Amino acid sequence: MTTSTEGTSVSDTPPESRLGRFAWNCRHHPKRELWFAWWVMVVFYQLYGVLFFFVTRVQPPPSPAWDTPMIVQWFDDRHDGLLVGFGIVFLISGMCAPMNALLAYSMRRMSVSRIFAYSYLIMYSLSAIPGMLVMAIAMTVGALRPDRDPELIHWLYDFAFLSFSGTMGVFLVGSVVWLVAILLDKNNVFPKWFAYLGLCNALTEVVVAPAWIFQRGAFAWNGAIAWWINMVVFVTYTAVFIVLLRRMIEREDFGTGPLPDLPDKRESASAGSVGVLR
Amino acid sequence: MSNTFNRRLLLVWAILTLLTLAYVWMDEAVDQNQTLTASTVVTVSAIAIALIKVRIIFREFMEVRHAPVWLCRLTDGWVVLVATCLLGSYFVGSAIAG
Amino acid sequence: MTEVAQPQLEETRSRFVPGQPDMWLFVLFEALLFTGYFSVYLVSRTQNQDLYLQSQADLDLRVGVFNTIVLLSSSWAIARCVRAAREGVYPAALRYAFVTVGFGVVFVISKVAEWIHEIGMGNTFTSDEFFQHYFFLTSLHCIHVLIGFIVMGVVIYQLRSPARRSQQLVETGATYWHTVDFLWVLIFAMLYVVR
Repeated sequence: MTTSTEGTSVSDTPPESRLGRFAWNCRHHPKRELWFAWWVMVVFYQLYGVLFFFVTRVQPPPSPAWDTPMIVQWFDDRHDGLLVGFGIVFLISGMCAPMNALLAYSMRRMSVSRIFAYSYLIMYSLSAIPGMLVMAIAMTVGALRPDRDPELIHWLYDFAFLSFSGTMGVFLVGSVVWLVAILLDKNNVFPKWFAYLGLCNALTEVVVAPAWIFQRGAFAWNGAIAWWINMVVFVTYTAVFIVLLRRMIEREDFGTGPLPDLPDKRESASAGSVGVLR
Repeated sequence: MSNTFNRRLLLVWAILTLLTLAYVWMDEAVDQNQTLTASTVVTVSAIAIALIKVRIIFREFMEVRHAPVWLCRLTDGWVVLVATCLLGSYFVGSAIAG
Repeated sequence: MTEVAQPQLEETRSRFVPGQPDMWLFVLFEALLFTGYFSVYLVSRTQNQDLYLQSQADLDLRVGVFNTIVLLSSSWAIARCVRAAREGVYPAALRYAFVTVGFGVVFVISKVAEWIHEIGMGNTFTSDEFFQHYFFLTSLHCIHVLIGFIVMGVVIYQLRSPARRSQQLVETGATYWHTVDFLWVLIFAMLYVVR
């Protein structure tokens, strides 16, 4: 637990105050990059939720069956929210990078080939484009000039939502890569049940594919099956992997063998706050 | 080979198959010369029988009978939960439509 | 094998979770997920009884019954396989595993034939609400069956060589296969029987 003190010449022990400890950890903790990536992920998902659901209000998605006047009205109602919200999304989209890197790192720590980590990284890096940025661009273009031709606004609406929901295929394959890696892993980085949960998640993403075909009903991009149930599973899956990644970082020993389990809570408390950033 | 186990499994299979065939009788009793008719009784029975089959599959095929008590309770609870959701959806939906 | 000891073994054997407990999480979660899909189906069915009844008439109940019995038989076979493996009779276990896959293949062929028949009658994924649900539920289930073949592949691989045999993995695979079976039991009731 005190391995981090071996390499330092400045101070052997962290200062007593919380702020002092935090600063010390930032400079000396061997897992600081991992914790940084984890916090970036947590902050990113919170922001993502707030921006997409409350600021821009593009989620839950509106219906593909609406006619053009209703769609123009929808853009009008959200004019400021869309521009401000997606403006912020453009700023923070870079936060996806440490997040995907952390996930790929978890695969590097496994006993499986590095190919898993690299494929995942490439897939998810590319998927942010149709999966988030294209919607942001299309929506801001639509909101920028409210007096634009309504047919064009309708076009942008379709383009945005189909891009956002319809490109689930990449996320699906990415989930499968991760879950296969977990099942084959001998280092016990993640529990096997998480791989099976990933399978459930991947299967619900298959379910979104019909959104390309339907304009109404349970399989449209706002449908009970294609969106609502899918979203419940996705949120559960995301919450679970955030917690499991935290556990992984706490257990990390920078070795190549099986990841050790977390020590008993009483032991880790008495070892001080070196293991955990606050 | 333990014959009691094997005979039990075969018996379970036979019961499940009979329950499946019961559906054919049920539907024929309700449908009027090849035209399908709506029936709450058939729907509720269909769901009930399906869940009985699921519970049998849990307990016999999936060996929950020999599992720790928490798994027995969990799977039983699941059967009740699924029954509630399915019957609930059906009745709520009927109420909205009717 | 001591014939006398076996019945005593049945009563005094300690309770165990079949297979990896992790797989049970999948089983229960997937059951919930499908329940969600069924609930959506039932609610939309009640809003449009006549359309659903009319479309449902195009389905053949006997085919559904056949499919169900095939999968029930495959479940029986994998249950026999697990028991045989537990008793150490691996050649028999391997045979039962192949029988399970065989029944699975019969199911898939029968399903595809049914889809072709329905499409031939003009009932496609997009033709009406009932068939949306029908094709969705049956094809999602079929994907589960195909994944089941991969799982059975792992089980057979385990059973083949003495060096690899892991009872836990065989039981885990069996748990997955039974899930595929009971999901079909529910789907069959929803699509073919419910009026």
